[in-house]
Amino acid sequence: MLQIENLKKVFGRMVALDGLNMTVEQGALYGFVGPNGAGKTTTIKTIIGLLAPDDGRVLVNGLDVAKERDRVMARIGYVPDAFGVYDNLKVSEYMEFFASCYGLTGLKARKRGQMLLEQVGLDDKADFYVEGLSRGMKQRLCLARALIHNPPVLVMDEPTAGLDPRTRYEFKEILKELQGQGKTVLISSHILPELAEICTDIGVIDQGRMVFEGSMDEILAQINVSSPLLISVSGSQQTALKLLREHPMVETITIREEDIVVGFSGDKKDEAALLQSLVEADAGVYGFVREKGSLESVFMQITDHSDGEVVLIHED
Amino acid sequence: MKINPIYRQESRAGARSFKLPLIILGFNGVLAVVALLYMYSMIMQVRLTAEIQYSSFLGLYVFVTTVEFILLLFIIPGLTAGSISGERERQTLDLMLTTRVRAVDIVFGKLVLGLSTVFLLIVSSFPILSLVFIYGGVTMADVGRLLICYVVTAVLVGSAGLFCSAAMRRSTMATVAAYLTVALLVAGTLVVNYLADGFAEMTSVSGNSAVSWPLYLLLCNPAALFQSVLSGQVGSESGMAVLFPQLERIADMGALGRYWQLISVIVQLLLSAAFLWGAVRRTEPARRK
Repeated sequence: MLQIENLKKVFGRMVALDGLNMTVEQGALYGFVGPNGAGKTTTIKTIIGLLAPDDGRVLVNGLDVAKERDRVMARIGYVPDAFGVYDNLKVSEYMEFFASCYGLTGLKARKRGQMLLEQVGLDDKADFYVEGLSRGMKQRLCLARALIHNPPVLVMDEPTAGLDPRTRYEFKEILKELQGQGKTVLISSHILPELAEICTDIGVIDQGRMVFEGSMDEILAQINVSSPLLISVSGSQQTALKLLREHPMVETITIREEDIVVGFSGDKKDEAALLQSLVEADAGVYGFVREKGSLESVFMQITDHSDGEVVLIHED
Repeated sequence: MKINPIYRQESRAGARSFKLPLIILGFNGVLAVVALLYMYSMIMQVRLTAEIQYSSFLGLYVFVTTVEFILLLFIIPGLTAGSISGERERQTLDLMLTTRVRAVDIVFGKLVLGLSTVFLLIVSSFPILSLVFIYGGVTMADVGRLLICYVVTAVLVGSAGLFCSAAMRRSTMATVAAYLTVALLVAGTLVVNYLADGFAEMTSVSGNSAVSWPLYLLLCNPAALFQSVLSGQVGSESGMAVLFPQLERIADMGALGRYWQLISVIVQLLLSAAFLWGAVRRTEPARRK
């Protein structure tokens, strides 16, 4: 289990983390999402002890990273966004080197290395030099390296960045396998849909703060709420617009050709009530539907910094 | 016994590369050419004058050891200055620091690796150095003292290189900084002494040569230690003596003068410890912003 409490980090004048709180339950595959510069990498570097927090603390399986570094490092594996490989070493030697960094040597280290290379599909490349590996292979090697000491917690910073779709798919399959083994995995990305397929939980960070945290089901439920209503009316739109402007749950109104696109914060019951009032006002409604939402739109909504004022826009 | 993982990994990779054999070849090649040319000139002199000057054979010892010392000063910063910054550039430093390896293990692993290369260079040069034993004049104890001087120099210059490597982000900058630090230790302390002497000469009426504080700076100077060791073995006119006229004043310093070499070794080892401490502090992850 991974727990972050009121984490603060300032670089000069820039506040990177502003009281961040986060909980990753044991066995969870947690997607840590945020736009570029939101504080994802700073958070991850603080979790793995590469940066000291200005305030707050990070607990890995109940151990404070700042106070019990050695014990924490034995329980955590780290995959950075860059490969971090020695080109002049063979794949098996690379694994043995990092095994020795955890005190594993000899036959035990070799066997563990072989097993992990098999798991990530690189067992046939054990005697190859690292420099000869493709980008995807290097990333899989990095993952195998991070697992050499069999850590219960794995932290990954944008591991699929720059990989082709097939390699991404293979990588996700490996992650699912790891989750099946009971490992707690934290994976960061700035693309929410990418994580949606595999993650059990999602945390969205923006400007150093956690702006959304919950299960994948919760975020999927938000898709409907966050998507706009498409209202089609015959004849003049004025009656409908007048009613919509006065409705407390209407956040935005946009005219798109013959449709009125309404940002509506209510649930299905409220939608029904709105439809009824439009019909009663004789607005000539012949279409009333929620636009098909996406994870991307939820992410954009969560990380949107504009004020939520009621506006009326004509889309040409 | 557990071998430092960084040392083991680097020495394994290093053993496969051409870099080390090339350094050994170049180092001993220069020494061999210098020694052979010196011997050739001596033999030519004997042919011309029909006199054998045994002091000339001591000159061979001075010449070869001085060239070896200068080569070490040039090679060691190059070996150590890119070690930690190189890890940073490869983005492997963070990976190591997220294991159970500590910054101190990384710094000492790199130092031992650099020193083992230097040790290999020194040992491989023994056949050339032993040419001097054909004619005598130098004892094994003298060579032992010289080796201590080499090792102290290697530790000091290597530590300075590591500090620069830990302090700088780029290996190029670290290498430049390491050579500047060595230049500061060797030439800088000497220049300060020359300036102090010049100033004293201008202001002094009687022209006395009282010991001034800049002389103590030479305790940090590996070249001054080397020259002091060499002067003690083959006379004060030897080697780079002309560069260090200040060393003649050491005798006026009482107990400090008597134990100058020992004190210099201690000072340089303390300075090395300070460089290493700085390197460890700069490598420690929690210190990085």
